[in-house]
Amino acid sequence: MFDIGKKSADKGQQDTGAQAKAPQPSAAADPAARRSPATPREAAVIGPSIHIDGDLRGEEDLIIEGEVNGTVQLRNNTLTIGAQGKVSADVFAHSVYVDGYMEGDLFGSERVCIRKSAQVKGNITSPRISLEDGARFKGTIEMDPQAVEAALGRRRGAAPAAPAPQEQKAAQPSQGNGKPDAASGIKR
Amino acid sequence: MNAPGRFTVQAHPPGAEPLNAPLFASLIERLQAAEERCIVLDLGPARTETLALFGQLRARLDIVDLAESLDQFDDVDEPDVLRERAERLLPPRHGDGAHVVLCWDLLNYLKRPALSAFMTAVAERTRRGAFAHALIAYSSARMSVKPGIFVPVDGQRLVNVSPPQAERDSPRYSPEDLANCMHGYTVERARLLRNGMQEFLFRL
Repeated sequence: MFDIGKKSADKGQQDTGAQAKAPQPSAAADPAARRSPATPREAAVIGPSIHIDGDLRGEEDLIIEGEVNGTVQLRNNTLTIGAQGKVSADVFAHSVYVDGYMEGDLFGSERVCIRKSAQVKGNITSPRISLEDGARFKGTIEMDPQAVEAALGRRRGAAPAAPAPQEQKAAQPSQGNGKPDAASGIKR
Repeated sequence: MNAPGRFTVQAHPPGAEPLNAPLFASLIERLQAAEERCIVLDLGPARTETLALFGQLRARLDIVDLAESLDQFDDVDEPDVLRERAERLLPPRHGDGAHVVLCWDLLNYLKRPALSAFMTAVAERTRRGAFAHALIAYSSARMSVKPGIFVPVDGQRLVNVSPPQAERDSPRYSPEDLANCMHGYTVERARLLRNGMQEFLFRL
């Protein structure tokens, strides 16, 4: 029943459509794959009956079809939130694919892909973001390369211990009521 | 940088007629010329085409998807309640307010008190000198039951990609109505487009 650590290849017919769609990067082409000790590229699966509260870290690709609350860190690997997956967490991964429900901040050092069945509420920071029509999204999409690099750089430079997602939030500008004095920079 | 007309997004769906939107084009030109990071508060739904267009600029998109939540403003007239609902829908106020607000085919779907409360809350999330670009059904006495989904075709044209819908009466807010409801917004320019919609560029 407990699917963590099981390779998706072992699950055979139980694999979901989301899993079938999960990317399978070749180790030769993908530097992240070379860095990962999990040389076979099958992903671990958190099954639909699993509920996890807390920090989830790993060095292999992961598919979440269950419920996860907390943080998810797969810095060199791919996270897929399957169609049945429900994640309320801040997520840090090399690549993130969302088919299911996600609430929290998404950091993808390579890419974030929001598919048409996804419901996402939160903020996305990644150099490559795609969003399929039909996906429900509310939040912020950071596409400025410098801002993305700064955000991800801060993440990379964080202490090796578990990073605190609230740091990022605390680093954001305070929520003042007044408007900034600086000119908008747009020519009038 | 590309000229605005050379921004490419993607082909519009068959049957959907792209609409020249000169004020939108001028806005994109300004953003392009600024060559600075811009923050866009998009009151519409998240769309690939919008992402593609602003992805060619140094942009952050704050997506509100107001159309999904319009019913929260039905049958409510109390300013405090309207304000509280607007605050819940909008992103938190950041020190770095938005440079641009996109408001395509939404204002006619809010009654006057809701329009006033919501757009006041929006204004508080912008910086001085920000622009608000709006499309409002104006010529016709009827409008679709739900707001159309407008997306950019390129840096000059917009297209409504929503499927045909039933219609209802339109409040047909005039520039005077909008001025009365939207405090702090000044109409910089307005144009009547060939589909009967009024295009507005507001300054905050």
